[in-house]
Amino acid sequence: MPVAWATLRRTWTMTSRAYPWSYAVGCLLTGVLTIGLSYLALHAIGGGTVAADFTARTGGADYLGYIAIGAGAFMFTVRLLLWSSKALITEQRQGTLGALLVAPAGRLPYLLGFTGFALANTVVEVGLLGGFAALLGITLPACQPLAALAGVLALAFAVFAVSVVLGALMIVAGEAHISQNTVFLAVSLLCGVTFPNSYLPAPARWLAETLPVTSAMDVLRGALSHGAGLADLAPRLLTCLALGAGYLLLGLLVLPGAERRAVERSY
Amino acid sequence: MSGHSRDPGALPSTEALLLPLADRLLPLRPGEPGRPGGPGPVRPPRRPRPLRPAARRARTELRHAGKVFAAEALKQHRTMFGQPLVVASMLIWPLLQLAATYYTLHPIAAGSAAAARWPLAADPAKLLGFLATGALAWAFFFSLVQSAWNFSYERTTGTLELLFLSPAGRVVLMLANGAGALLQNAWLLTCFLGAAAFGFGSLQVAGPWMYPVVLLALLLPAMAWGALLNSLMVFSRDSTFVYTVLDDPMWFVGGVRLPVFALPGVLRVLGAALPLTGSLAVVRGALLERQGLGELAPALARLAVLCVLLLAGAVLALRLGEARAQRTGGLRLV
Repeated sequence: MPVAWATLRRTWTMTSRAYPWSYAVGCLLTGVLTIGLSYLALHAIGGGTVAADFTARTGGADYLGYIAIGAGAFMFTVRLLLWSSKALITEQRQGTLGALLVAPAGRLPYLLGFTGFALANTVVEVGLLGGFAALLGITLPACQPLAALAGVLALAFAVFAVSVVLGALMIVAGEAHISQNTVFLAVSLLCGVTFPNSYLPAPARWLAETLPVTSAMDVLRGALSHGAGLADLAPRLLTCLALGAGYLLLGLLVLPGAERRAVERSY
Repeated sequence: MSGHSRDPGALPSTEALLLPLADRLLPLRPGEPGRPGGPGPVRPPRRPRPLRPAARRARTELRHAGKVFAAEALKQHRTMFGQPLVVASMLIWPLLQLAATYYTLHPIAAGSAAAARWPLAADPAKLLGFLATGALAWAFFFSLVQSAWNFSYERTTGTLELLFLSPAGRVVLMLANGAGALLQNAWLLTCFLGAAAFGFGSLQVAGPWMYPVVLLALLLPAMAWGALLNSLMVFSRDSTFVYTVLDDPMWFVGGVRLPVFALPGVLRVLGAALPLTGSLAVVRGALLERQGLGELAPALARLAVLCVLLLAGAVLALRLGEARAQRTGGLRLV
């Protein structure tokens, strides 16, 4: 715990002294423009109506609400993943990975501390996106706060678990750009972020089920727009948590080997 | 960044092609030392036919530019094209993005009210064609944003000063840098989308002569745009603003994923200032709506004017940037 707290404070101090404004604005713009695109499409092209198959698949005709929840959850995933999975490769690029590895600190508390900071940062940024959605008049008429909170926590846990695996992959490959963007694009296509993923062919849906974001999206949509309670959402919530636990286990198993490879390569 | 060592004996095929090209484009004159002797007796060099001074100057300039272009292409090939994974990302990312955009717009396009406002939306193949042409043009222009981003490394590492001190023309350098990036980034997607379009048979083209027009309408404005972006790096070391401002907002106002009529007036005006919007109008008109040269002439003329303005902007930015650098000492050019 002291390690996690120390890492959180260190990252907080570093970032508050030189906050990457343009990077954060760029990520926020992606969400804002996704919502803006669907707003213009709905009003200027669709005349306020959507196709019947969308209503049938999602159980509601609220296209903008659907997109806004998706864009918010996607931004949450991307920002949290960006911070957490790049923790180790950032140490590697700065030349401090070796020092971190010989320090008597556990890797899991270190990563937890980093993610704790990232979570605080991400919640504020997603809040800004929510503010933009509210400005456009997008509301959540049937919202279950408790179930939604459970969904957000499950998503945060699952993203942390995926970021451990991705972080190990990054330090082995020695690059972050390609792996992170491929994951982001796969999530945006497969996990039912801006459209119901039942539009996709069956193999793509099976692939989507291996990503915990898919089940987390179901929980969030159920809690935020269909008014479903925790009891209704429990199966999908458990799926998300189980997948997260699986990824975390995988990550903790492969991380020592990845660190060894990364250090051997750089000396 | 790319830590792999190269074996000088085994050049990859593209490099084997580009290296002699860079050398051959400025052949040594007869009589200069170092000219390889041909077979047979040594003859006195034949006097070349006298050229008019302007024509001779133009020829020299063109050769010079060709050499800079080939050298820049080779440099970019070496720095950016290291891993086969990069090739996959050039193709896989745009295609994943294209699929996600298609499905996101599908509920609107398949709605009952959309067909009256946007006739193209009723046909899924045409909607896909609309979005694919958008993705193609976006790939062209975005690769230049990336090129400017990469170019800023020349500024931070100090090699921009060396480039400026070399005999290579500065505007030519800016153009060549963009063109190199374009070749590196856009060829694979172009081939793929071209093949897909022919396979689907959803293209509506007036005649085969329109394909070169489409390619030029993408290439030339993209190069002019790249020259302007690259020349802005003379002013600032911080290139993240290029990425932030020109990543997502560019597709939004350029009409990449929505028809321009759906945008509010202010955004349409902003979009008209971007060459991407004009290029897309030509590409979509020629490939999807069977428009000929006559119908596209006004759009092409606007695009040509915009290209000239962008190039003039690049020249101006270089002049002003250099003057500023000499005043402030930001760049060491002497």
